[in-house]
Amino acid sequence: MTDPDLDDDVLVAVRDLSTRFFTEEGQVNAVESVSFEIRDNEVLGIVGESGSGKSVTALSIIDLVESPGRITQGEVWYRDAELAEEFRDTNASVVGDHLDLRTVPERVRGSLRGSSFSTIFQDPMSSLNPSVTVGEQIAEAVEVQRRASANPRRTRSRTAGYGLGQMIVDAVVPSRSYTSEESHARAVELLEQVGIPDPADRAEEYPHQFSGGMLQRAMIAQALAGEPDVLIADEPTTALDVTIQAQILDLLRDLQTEEGTSVVMITHDLGVIARMCDRVGVMYAGEIVERGRLEDVFDAPVHPYTQGLLGSIPDLEDPAPRLQPIEGNVPSLLDSEMPEGCYFADRCPKAMQDCLEPIAEYDAQSGSPEHAVQCVLARQEFDPALALHEDGDAEVVADE
Amino acid sequence: MVSRRVIQNLTSEFRDSFLAKLGVALVVVVVLVAIFAPFVAPHNPTQQNLDASQLPPLGFTQVEQKTTSEMVDGELQTVTVNETVEAKLEHPLGTDGLGRDMLSRVIYGARTSLIVGVLGTLFAAFVGVPVGLIAGYYRGRVDDALMRFADVSLAFPSLVLAIALIGLWGRASVPVPDPFVALGLVSGMPETFVLPGTVVVVVGIVNWVWFARIARGEALSLRDQEYVKAAKALGANDSRVVLRHVFPNAITPIIVLATVQVAAIILLESSLSFLGFSGTTLSWGFDISQGRDYISSGQWWIAGMPGLAIMISVIGINLIGDWLRDALDPGIEGEGGGA
Repeated sequence: MTDPDLDDDVLVAVRDLSTRFFTEEGQVNAVESVSFEIRDNEVLGIVGESGSGKSVTALSIIDLVESPGRITQGEVWYRDAELAEEFRDTNASVVGDHLDLRTVPERVRGSLRGSSFSTIFQDPMSSLNPSVTVGEQIAEAVEVQRRASANPRRTRSRTAGYGLGQMIVDAVVPSRSYTSEESHARAVELLEQVGIPDPADRAEEYPHQFSGGMLQRAMIAQALAGEPDVLIADEPTTALDVTIQAQILDLLRDLQTEEGTSVVMITHDLGVIARMCDRVGVMYAGEIVERGRLEDVFDAPVHPYTQGLLGSIPDLEDPAPRLQPIEGNVPSLLDSEMPEGCYFADRCPKAMQDCLEPIAEYDAQSGSPEHAVQCVLARQEFDPALALHEDGDAEVVADE
Repeated sequence: MVSRRVIQNLTSEFRDSFLAKLGVALVVVVVLVAIFAPFVAPHNPTQQNLDASQLPPLGFTQVEQKTTSEMVDGELQTVTVNETVEAKLEHPLGTDGLGRDMLSRVIYGARTSLIVGVLGTLFAAFVGVPVGLIAGYYRGRVDDALMRFADVSLAFPSLVLAIALIGLWGRASVPVPDPFVALGLVSGMPETFVLPGTVVVVVGIVNWVWFARIARGEALSLRDQEYVKAAKALGANDSRVVLRHVFPNAITPIIVLATVQVAAIILLESSLSFLGFSGTTLSWGFDISQGRDYISSGQWWIAGMPGLAIMISVIGINLIGDWLRDALDPGIEGEGGGA
């Protein structure tokens, strides 16, 4: 067991997490040795292109990676004094108040979903069950957590009324309700909190009667039902139009400040990151290539990929005649096709001979201790004499 | 589970479709007749009367050749006389070879067919839907094991399987007291009604595969819905996801399938009765097999009337199935619902 080296304000620390998909075409390294921290009361942004492993990283934290995917290595440290105490003398890894969720039984990880980790998904239109009223769905989430917290861990009564037989009865007799009056009241309260007008009436409606923005608000209300420590927002605004996006982001920011929840914001939109986040990790081909505080990463990016991302958004004050796209495409992530060295080398305008060697994470030397980067440029200046591509021409692929 | 939108679709489709109305009318009539059989039937369906056997239905006359022979001067002389048998008003659909009233038999046969059809379908759904939901939801090896087993069952001819199972288990016939007769509301009718228990189970076992397949298909597509992922991410366990989020959204095609299955099972029950495997003698299939012997000698109604009854009820149920499918699943253009 490596020493995780955790500060007290670290709520979740991910160390060396790798998730692989074992498909018929071969092994896909969706997440490759990723490390980052989620701190109290803070918004962490994870940004990257489609297919860079952002969503799989989020699913790996809550252990919901679907077959054929599997978490192959890594640790997910979570701070919970009570749980840490419970597992201190077992096989599970415990350091101080933190325990490694990868070493506790599946049952415990399951019980943390909803109550400790909550998730908002990309497409609000399909994120609510079309055959159950919105209020009922939120009330159900409240009720589950209410019953779970009212009873000590491991007792059957945590899920009382949600046994198999009970659920079969509920499925056959639709008028029967599992949720209590209190949970319904709380659901209406939550709907009001996320800014839905007439919450009591709207709670009785079905998801198809809601607009996209309203549904995303309802999703957020449902995610808040368990009063989670960490709210994982997986592209929460991608399916919404721009004005609604802004409203949802403001809502998330407000709720984060009010409730003191930590938020993981997964997005491909640098604007969202700039607006919301305190800390940011840039993902490329399953790796976090650069991470640090927002101002460090955005103002003094070290990795050429981060520089490329920032260079490819228009600047209102200084509209350059042409944006700088990053040449080439995202690599396939198939294990057999991955290069030895830096995955970005074949697209990188500043690739050098050293980039073909296996690479580690370095301090970015930007003066901030938390700014880390996975690039040789962190320790040596770009030397055109050693360049792989002439004139930054990324078309010449050096090594396959 | 049944939203207002669904009911709207159902009513508007019903209003537009003549065939849907026809189907509902036919089925309602059959169901009412089956339930109130002791009141509707003019005679006791098991009462034999050899003096009034083989009477034709109303509106038909039957010419019967009677051959008598006698010895005249040491030679055998045969005299053939054509005798006309007139229909009688008290037997509007005629009588069978033993003089039992066909109308009463057809009315009582509706009970057997409907009960076996409905119970058999429920049993098939009860077995098939959970299997399909589990296979589709868990995928992988569970899916392979369950669905390959289902494929194997499907490869077996259903009638042969049914006969084999009945041969194995015997014909369990459960006599159920007729509530109307027991309450003394009607007299002169059979006191018990025979429920062919084995047949119900067997037709269920023969037909569960269809439910498993459709439930699996639905579960496969629903498990990847965002709301299923969202429910899991919010702490729902597998049984909750399946019963709360997958099953209610898979119910529509299952209901449509169930209506079609009722019709198919009525036919299967008739085939089994025809072959003598059902354990009840008050069944359309049984009457057809009895009447088969009379067809060549001209008494077509003995097999024809129960055949007509099967046709009407199967058509009615299938029309309802078409209506439900067109109303609940607008993606499928039905051939039946276009009127």
